[in-house]
Amino acid sequence: MKLLSASVLAVAVATAPIAVHAEYSAGDEITVLQGFKAGGGSDALAQLTQPFLTKLLGVDMVNQYIPGAAGAIAWTRLAKQSKNDGGTVSITNTPMLVTNYIMNDAITYSIDELTPIANVVTDPGIIVVPSDSPFKTVEDLFAAAKKNPGRITVGNSGVGGDDFFSAILVEQAAGVKFQSVPFQGDGPSATAAMGGKIDASFNNLGNVYGFVQSGDLRALAIFTKERVDFLPDVPTLVEKDMNVVAGSSRGYSAPAGIPEKAREELIAAFESLKTNEEFKAIAKERALVLDIVTGDDYLQMMKSMETDYKKIWKEIKSDVAK
Amino acid sequence: MDTSLILVGLVNVITLTNISLILGGTLLGLFVGAMPGLSATMALALLLPLTYNMDPASGLSMLAALYVGASYGGSISAILLRTPGTPSAAATVLDGYPLSQQGQAGRALGVSLFASFVGGLMSGLALLTAAPLLGVVVLEFGPVEMFAIAVLGITIIGSLAQGSMITGLLSGALGLLVSTVGMDFLTGTPRMTFGQINLFSGIEFVVALIGLFSIPQALRLIEKSNGAAKIASKITDRLIPSFRELKQLMPNILRSGCIGIIVGVIPGTGGDTASWFAYNEAKRFAKDKSRFGKGDIAGVAAPESANNAVVGGALIPTIALGIPGSSSTAILLGALMVQGILPGPNLLTDYGDVTYTLIWAVIFANVGLLLVGLMFTKACVSVTKVPDAFVACTIITLCIIGSFAINNSIFDVGLMLGFGLFGYWLSKAGVSPAPMVIGLILGPVMENSFHQSMLIGNHSFAVFLDSPIAIVLLSIAVLSVFQATPLFSWIRTLRRQ
Repeated sequence: MKLLSASVLAVAVATAPIAVHAEYSAGDEITVLQGFKAGGGSDALAQLTQPFLTKLLGVDMVNQYIPGAAGAIAWTRLAKQSKNDGGTVSITNTPMLVTNYIMNDAITYSIDELTPIANVVTDPGIIVVPSDSPFKTVEDLFAAAKKNPGRITVGNSGVGGDDFFSAILVEQAAGVKFQSVPFQGDGPSATAAMGGKIDASFNNLGNVYGFVQSGDLRALAIFTKERVDFLPDVPTLVEKDMNVVAGSSRGYSAPAGIPEKAREELIAAFESLKTNEEFKAIAKERALVLDIVTGDDYLQMMKSMETDYKKIWKEIKSDVAK
Repeated sequence: MDTSLILVGLVNVITLTNISLILGGTLLGLFVGAMPGLSATMALALLLPLTYNMDPASGLSMLAALYVGASYGGSISAILLRTPGTPSAAATVLDGYPLSQQGQAGRALGVSLFASFVGGLMSGLALLTAAPLLGVVVLEFGPVEMFAIAVLGITIIGSLAQGSMITGLLSGALGLLVSTVGMDFLTGTPRMTFGQINLFSGIEFVVALIGLFSIPQALRLIEKSNGAAKIASKITDRLIPSFRELKQLMPNILRSGCIGIIVGVIPGTGGDTASWFAYNEAKRFAKDKSRFGKGDIAGVAAPESANNAVVGGALIPTIALGIPGSSSTAILLGALMVQGILPGPNLLTDYGDVTYTLIWAVIFANVGLLLVGLMFTKACVSVTKVPDAFVACTIITLCIIGSFAINNSIFDVGLMLGFGLFGYWLSKAGVSPAPMVIGLILGPVMENSFHQSMLIGNHSFAVFLDSPIAIVLLSIAVLSVFQATPLFSWIRTLRRQ
């Protein structure tokens, strides 16, 4: 009898990590479609989040990389060709997810065909200038742009990317006009700023943090609601009475119409990450800024982006396509 | 900052995984190089997909080692079969084959191996010294300067073609045309995509490359697979050269190494040019010229030292400026792109750790070559006898796997096969695919940097005259175009009269 209870105990202990959490109702495997190559920013999110999700939901998470067309190939597959049984999700990058189809008629999915689950990280937008730039503050930059409309060159990570749109948001909020110069990604845009080839670069905190720390670049303003811990001296635009909050966000979405129970379980798992100290510590270690927004709030976040960027694109479309 | 990156690269290379990958890559290169018909470029194109899932340092180490190994391997079949295993071993045939007929195959291979080692090591060290110097000026290279570089690179296309300049330019223009497929950089609208979402991000460079280089070669092998069986000479004497002999050959090997490095640096010229150049110089410096062509060991040492020295030399412009020095380095550049690293001056800064790993891998691969070569050269004799049809099937299989693996896309496999058939047709028409590859790489660089320059310069062409670097590079480009026109040769004949 004693022996039996010992073995029962052993079994109970061995199965405890699974037994404590409810099994995911939609199966024991989730396929994660990734619209970018292994080793990129989306993959970084997967590496951060998925070990925790695996434990919380008691599932295996299988990454499938389908790079191409700025993520649109994977997202088209998610929206149109994946079963909505809760067994397939995708890492969704905003605003790219919505700007893709706003800008290109040939891309046919839309957020209405998705079930947004949760946003996890947001790399906030930031304005950086070379260390020897005459612009000491963001006001200097705006004053120069007012004086020489369309002559101050600002780099972005590519047409349609978050920096491209955030530069437009800033132009509208500050009532100025820059000359936007697209680069192939945040890195080249930052390098061009460092070399003094452009006056400023609209970039993301995660990409330029090292250069700002080393003094190669100077940060003028960050597009968050409140100042960030990493760079406490850098003002937000909200402080300057400009309502520009933007960045590059990554989260998870499923196809439209997945079982309500599965949706709730997924959302609950992400909600629990908000208070998971171990998770937060690892995110901080990897310089990822957590911004967990789940369920309907995440849908709302996408919806407002869709409205804003549709409006902006309509206004500037003819200028860009010249 | 530079010194620390150099050390980071060294530390990256000296891991158990990377050292074994370097040795494995060298061995594979040796075998592939020894197989007549398989060039170093093709071996790199085929093995590139294997590196997708490796970390950049490991993948590049293996590819660099393969390149080094194949550069020597070509001499094995040149000496034993009278068929150069790679185009750059053609000069080795002249004296290497007579030597093997005289029962001195071992001696010839041993000297070839040692000369390859010394030439390769020299070029590796030259690369390590030159790269940081170029790295200092990297931030000076903005869009305006990049445009000038791309223009210079495009003008080189003509020289990269074997044979006619016109077909070379045609091939280059095709590459430029194909490079325009995909999202327009400036407006975000898709071009030449025919509503096909798989084409939105453009044609994956590596997919085109695998098709263009490997499929035509496989088809050519099948064509001649019914030919006569190959007869290889046997190695009867010992492989390790005597100290006295090496001492005697040293000036020749060092001179040829320098030739190889310099020829390598000039974009568009590669191992074949360098080895003929070095062979001729060796002959010019020799006391007894009559023995050349009849089995003079100096005629083996010179081209082999030179064609291995090309490896490091060709990597100098590739790494410092993102302009490939040869079609093989174009593929190494493709390997960097697969890892998400864009070619350009920031290879030495933003991706310095990866770049220096590559440089160290070249140096270590040459040491590895000496070891692997001593152990396995004799085994390569059997490799040269593998039936062509078998090799062809293996190539096609690897092509399909490789083109699928890059994006997990069946569409890319079809695209690769399409490029393969097109490449086969091109080769039948006598058009080299190498300029097309340069066009594919430089097209987007040129287009994007042009647009960026115009935006920065307020839509005035004067922006190109504001930069001294751009002026110099563009002048060289203009000169190299003129040099290829009849006008130039007319002036030359006038002067001679």
